[in-house]
Amino acid sequence: MDESPKKELAERRNTSSHLHRKEETPSWHLGAPVDIFFRSSPCRIVVVNAQELDHPIIYVNLIFEQVTGYRADEVLGRNCRFLQYQGSFAKTRYPLVDIRILTEICRCLSEGFDFEGERLNFRKGGSPLMNRLYIKPICNDEGIITHFLGVQSFKEANFDLSPLRGLVWKKSSGAIHTHILGDMYSQKSLFVHRDCSFKKCCPLYKVSDEVLVVNILARLTPRDVTSLGSVCHRFYNLTKDESLWKLVCQNIWGQETFSILESVARRRRLWWGKIVRELTTLEAAAWRKLTVGGSVEPSCINFSVCAVGSKVVLFGGEGVNMQPVNDTFVLDLNEDCPEWTHINVNSAPPGRWGHTLSGLSDSRLVVFGGCGRNGLLNDAFVLDLDEPQPTWHEVSCSTRPLPRSWHSSCILDGTKLIVSGGCTDSGALLSDTFLLDLTMEKPVWKEINVSWRPPSRLGHTLSVLGNHKILMYGGLATSGPLRLRSSDVYIMDLSEEETRWKYVTGSMLPGGVSTCNSAPPPRLDHAAVSLPGGRVVVFGGSIAGSRLETKVYILDPMEEKPTWRILYVQGRQPKYASGHSTCLVGGTRVVVLGGHHTEDWMLTELHELCLINLKGTD
Amino acid sequence: MAEDPTAAMAKECKVRLKISDDTIFEVEYAVAMQSQMLKNALSDTGTDGTVPLHNISSEIMAKVVEYCAYHVNAANTISEKDVKIWDQEFLKDLDQATLFNLIMATQYMVIHNLQDLICQTVADRIKDKSAEEVREIFNIQNDLTPEEEEEIRHENQWAFEEEGWPEIQEEVRLEG
Repeated sequence: MDESPKKELAERRNTSSHLHRKEETPSWHLGAPVDIFFRSSPCRIVVVNAQELDHPIIYVNLIFEQVTGYRADEVLGRNCRFLQYQGSFAKTRYPLVDIRILTEICRCLSEGFDFEGERLNFRKGGSPLMNRLYIKPICNDEGIITHFLGVQSFKEANFDLSPLRGLVWKKSSGAIHTHILGDMYSQKSLFVHRDCSFKKCCPLYKVSDEVLVVNILARLTPRDVTSLGSVCHRFYNLTKDESLWKLVCQNIWGQETFSILESVARRRRLWWGKIVRELTTLEAAAWRKLTVGGSVEPSCINFSVCAVGSKVVLFGGEGVNMQPVNDTFVLDLNEDCPEWTHINVNSAPPGRWGHTLSGLSDSRLVVFGGCGRNGLLNDAFVLDLDEPQPTWHEVSCSTRPLPRSWHSSCILDGTKLIVSGGCTDSGALLSDTFLLDLTMEKPVWKEINVSWRPPSRLGHTLSVLGNHKILMYGGLATSGPLRLRSSDVYIMDLSEEETRWKYVTGSMLPGGVSTCNSAPPPRLDHAAVSLPGGRVVVFGGSIAGSRLETKVYILDPMEEKPTWRILYVQGRQPKYASGHSTCLVGGTRVVVLGGHHTEDWMLTELHELCLINLKGTD
Repeated sequence: MAEDPTAAMAKECKVRLKISDDTIFEVEYAVAMQSQMLKNALSDTGTDGTVPLHNISSEIMAKVVEYCAYHVNAANTISEKDVKIWDQEFLKDLDQATLFNLIMATQYMVIHNLQDLICQTVADRIKDKSAEEVREIFNIQNDLTPEEEEEIRHENQWAFEEEGWPEIQEEVRLEG
């Protein structure tokens, strides 16, 4: 029985024909995955004799000879390990060859399992070759392993072979070619163990890395994935894989956040594992000062800003002679020397201050409300920055919310504008909530009807959590005949059938003492930023007394008992931060403009709260 | 090749699948179509022949067919809530080995919904578990030396801590 496979192989020695032909039915099945290997790319084939000492090679195919540079007669009778030595003169294996993979191979061979993985090999000339290797034991009729079949497809290895660097965050040399979720089901990746005549084992060893990463590990939270690194070597290596962290990010934080972070990651060459870690722990959060060129002139206050990609866009404001202005300025933070640029737009909306400016998907933004030359406004205008000649378009609607200023707004799903509260012409405060779906051909303002509304207010913030929840915080709220700063937090889930405002934490009384003594001082016109994962960071604004405070507070509304916490941030914080002049750029930097003093009005000195370490690896 | 309308095919045709121990599974066309891989294969070759699935055993195939058959019927007739309950029942007594074999079978046959169900189940088993617990669940041998374990734990310290931000202790005064 041992003789016939050997003879067959010897006959085919100098051809690169497939071992498995349709007409013949060899006594051993190779199984589908090997077929797939054959069909997809030229493969090197090696067969070793499992019953002889040190597993000598008994057959290699033509492709093996061509790719590795070793001739068949040079390698027959030797063990495969020479492929791990760089060049034919090396005496020991190259250090970057992952010992754990070798241990794994040895283990599989000794216990009779299939092995699939990637390994670093070298050609005869010394150039590296990343080897996708599949080893299958071949048994005779009695179930005894007689040979091992190795099928190797290759890709060029392109990492640095210079002296090894530190192990921290090293790029896994066993990089898995996972496809981001859209293309998850690659045929190449799997194999199924043929039968269970081998002893009982861990079922996980049957599953390839790709299947494990893409289908199971990618569904876990960052903390879970990281703690898996302590399980065993295989898991530790998997947790070092960049593709896994990209998938985790997409899964838990959504496609929109992922796309925003991706452009930052690519530009700054950041490790995804680090990005995910830093956005979870905020350990690298730091205040920085940024000086930019150009200037916003005529200078104004009470303008509004929003972020569009890497750009900060500024519109409107109250000019020096207290007249509303309607200029549009852009500052591109991706440039080496960012500069404020005035944009020549067509059909600028009427000038205003106390309005809201919000970024939509695809480089568009929308402005709503505010105080114009002749009173309060309730019109909405959209601008597309990517147009060759940017033009503001009014959103024409038959019915509109009441005109207002110092309301708050946010954007759901990149396309729906939500507006709430604010102050009317008569001075009364509002407590309504309206939604405008800008994907419709003729957008219509829809009031969100609720059975109970939080007290009416202005200067509060609306933050988006995930795809369908909004969080309202703070503001100057009505309390009987008074108006007091509030520290209340409410959440609304817009996917529910009966939408309602849920109280999360705060004092339940605007300006009142908090029941658990652990809320930030009540405030209005503060900055509120949504972090991935549904957390909200808040700072600045106007608080009671003459204290100026820009301590940073963080809240996770998903906790069982949501509690405000202080986030200690390195660096010097700005003395002043207000909601309408603060925005989150690229998902990672909170840019704070302006200040109380006139020199700040030129807006050439900015503060930014960097949530992650933006210095990439080099 | 498929000139016949799909509906007619669905009613009449049975697809033959030959599995690892050479037994033949006969499934209805509509059930087989739940697998993208079979869908592609059959659109090329038609339903006359037998599709070889050498790497799938009969127990696994039986489970796959059970799931697909139910979901074909459930598609428009049974409520989402009831389908979810059935799915949980389906998963209930499956042991580790079967779960993983199912993952690989659904990967090969490209059956998205079953694969998602099983992978989510496995992920749920790992969620919030310590490394030692994960090893126990999957019968994984710890091949890390104590020094390596210590080093890894130190590197990944952040994952084991609760969010370490302090609560606010200051009093909040009443506004005047």
